[in-house]
Amino acid sequence: MNALIARWRGQPKARTPDESYYTAGQFALIRARFMRNTTGVIAGGILSVLLLMGLFAPFFSPNAPGIEGANPDYRRGAPQSIHFCDANGCSWRPFTYTYTREAPAFDLSALAGGDLSALDAITSGDSLNASSQNRFVEQTDQRRYLHFFVSGWEYSLLKIEWLGIDIRSDLHLFGVDQGQIHLFGTDEDGKDVFSRTLHAIWVTISIALVALAVKLFVSLLVGGVSGYCGGRVDAVLMAITEAVRVIPPIPVYLACAVALSQIDLTPVQRYFAIAVVIGALDFAALGRRLRTHILTERNQDYVMAAKLSGASSSRIIWRHLVPSFSSYIIVDTLINFPYVILAETSLSFLGLGLTEPVNSLGVLLQKAQDPDIQQNMVWQFAPVGVFVLLIMAFVFVGDALRDAADPYSERKR
Amino acid sequence: MQAFLTNTWLLWLLSGTAALLWWRGRSSQLFYYIFNRYLLALGTLLLVSGIVFSLMEVLPGDCAEKMIAYKNTQGEVITQAQIDAERARMGLDQPLPVRWASWVADLTLKGDLGFSCAKRQSVNMALGDRFWMSLGFCIAGLLFAYLIAVPFGILSAWSLNKPWLDRKRHHTPLRRLRNSIGLVIAKLVDLQLRLISYLGLALPNFLLALSIILLYVFAGEPTPTGLFSDEWRGQPWFAEQGFQWGKLNDFMGHIWLPILVIGWAATALQLQTVRALVVDESNKLYVEAARARGIDGFRLWSRYPVRHSISPLFNSVGFDFQRIFNDLPIVAVVIGLTDAAALLIEALAMTNDQELAAGILFLVALVVIGMNFITDVILAVLDPRVRNSVMQAGGH
Repeated sequence: MNALIARWRGQPKARTPDESYYTAGQFALIRARFMRNTTGVIAGGILSVLLLMGLFAPFFSPNAPGIEGANPDYRRGAPQSIHFCDANGCSWRPFTYTYTREAPAFDLSALAGGDLSALDAITSGDSLNASSQNRFVEQTDQRRYLHFFVSGWEYSLLKIEWLGIDIRSDLHLFGVDQGQIHLFGTDEDGKDVFSRTLHAIWVTISIALVALAVKLFVSLLVGGVSGYCGGRVDAVLMAITEAVRVIPPIPVYLACAVALSQIDLTPVQRYFAIAVVIGALDFAALGRRLRTHILTERNQDYVMAAKLSGASSSRIIWRHLVPSFSSYIIVDTLINFPYVILAETSLSFLGLGLTEPVNSLGVLLQKAQDPDIQQNMVWQFAPVGVFVLLIMAFVFVGDALRDAADPYSERKR
Repeated sequence: MQAFLTNTWLLWLLSGTAALLWWRGRSSQLFYYIFNRYLLALGTLLLVSGIVFSLMEVLPGDCAEKMIAYKNTQGEVITQAQIDAERARMGLDQPLPVRWASWVADLTLKGDLGFSCAKRQSVNMALGDRFWMSLGFCIAGLLFAYLIAVPFGILSAWSLNKPWLDRKRHHTPLRRLRNSIGLVIAKLVDLQLRLISYLGLALPNFLLALSIILLYVFAGEPTPTGLFSDEWRGQPWFAEQGFQWGKLNDFMGHIWLPILVIGWAATALQLQTVRALVVDESNKLYVEAARARGIDGFRLWSRYPVRHSISPLFNSVGFDFQRIFNDLPIVAVVIGLTDAAALLIEALAMTNDQELAAGILFLVALVVIGMNFITDVILAVLDPRVRNSVMQAGGH
């Protein structure tokens, strides 16, 4: 942050060639270079805010995301605006209004006379469709004040099942006097879109984490074995990698997802299975890089020294060769984050990834193809904004990290 | 004789090419290298066919069940014995390796991709020219991505690590001002372009296509979905009065949408790649040496780092194609195209048509491997660095 301010002020950076620069470790150098990148720092800030909000979603969301937190009196409701001032004066405490449903616009008494054309008029008019039945009006004389750090629905802050730890809490960042607040509006069941979006962030991120962990494991296995053994093992493994690399992955995910949909799985199992499939098939690029790296490194003196000291092959691979590659692996993992998230989203779009009761960004985005939502509930596009922000933040942080991890970027100034 | 040749033409073609390359390769290192690459490509194709074919085993149901289910809808009562008989007739009771071998044999002998159960015609017939259509979309999208990514990726690499303002003491104030304006513009353009291209990545393709279609709906214009509008769909390309320009016009008015959507999404990755390649090259010592010799500005960048980063970029064309095809099916579903990508989705997710899906996936892999082979050969001919390493590797 200091670097940022210094940059804005236009001060030339003090580049004192002190001792610490030469003794700093690789990660300290990467960090220092990263902090000098303005766009990277801004994107990193946005990313960490989003991740924190996702991680502590129950705290930040005023309503429970599931059907139990749905507001039956505010289905298909538009986002509620927050005000500081209105005709009745201003207040420091922000407030919103009470919303009441508009009275039905059709007159049933006309039917009493047995006149069928009146019935026709009602059914052919648009007063019976869902969106006009759920039209809400602000009662501008009834304010509902926003309160901070209120107690609301109960959630578990930390839950580790096998240790029996379950810390529960009911503290929330904000809420209103009576009733519920819906910053992004509600969906057709009255579920709060804002709360769902926040909860979805973490689900999506955790899928990506599982997928990337699996990917890392498979790539390390393939690349490590192939690079270290060389010879025939290398040739066979690389031939398979090459063959996997040329097949477009999304159709393959699709085939696996179709196969998974035949098996009876709980949503959680399904979710892990999809993550594992996405991760396991994505080993080609990283595996090949790792292999090339190990092929060049294994003839270095330090490997010979380890060998002479009697270290086993697996020890040499895991303790010497892989760590020398760790910064590349970390950067590559971060750069791949958005692509994995996008893969999950495309599967959800086709209805083969996660499905409705689960909150994931893919599930929320998938709703955008519903014409009803496109025409009558535009606020359900709000998760799209969050999604775009998340991916953009990841991409910019990835770019900045790649530049920072390049040891040569220092020299040229 | 005639029948024998028409049934085995592809095999003759393949082995003829191999023989020609081998014969030329006896006296020429280059052709020896190409021969090796050729064999490697064929081997990879064989492996791909194995992977694709066994992948299709995970799809539920098989051809016999579908055939019988179809007969069932026609009012016939079907027993399990009939299903088994049908299965035996189609050879589906054989183990997987046997079926795969016969599929590969048909493929290498006469380019026959098998039989599509859901369409009840051969895969080649079902595909028709749809595969060419997908290929056209992908290549157009790829060109679009390259057109944007290459120049602006280089610009991005150039402006990296550059300050916003020129503060060099030895420049005159006027020159400093001019340089500063140039720098600010370059940096802003770079930032804008990166934002826009990453937006293409961050907005999932289906959403992008949907939003563009929605904009048309809100504006009250006819949406550019499908390939033709209704009035031109039935018309032939060539009528009595010559070539139908109106149809071409209409076609162009429709295909820009898928090309824009997949091209935009691919731009982000291309931009990242070009940027990383040029940055890597520009930090190397030969660039420093050129700078020390007094070469500067445009001449330095175009002759040294940019020139060197072209060949890895060119080398990855095949995989770029794979990546862009990867996005096409979902776009095709949203826009309502009827190309091979849409067929693939239909075969995978809806009708579980194993051989059709396997055929399309195999064709995509074939194009990727073919592109890789061609780029390898072209680089070996044109790029002196690759050429030298080829000559040395063969010369031991």
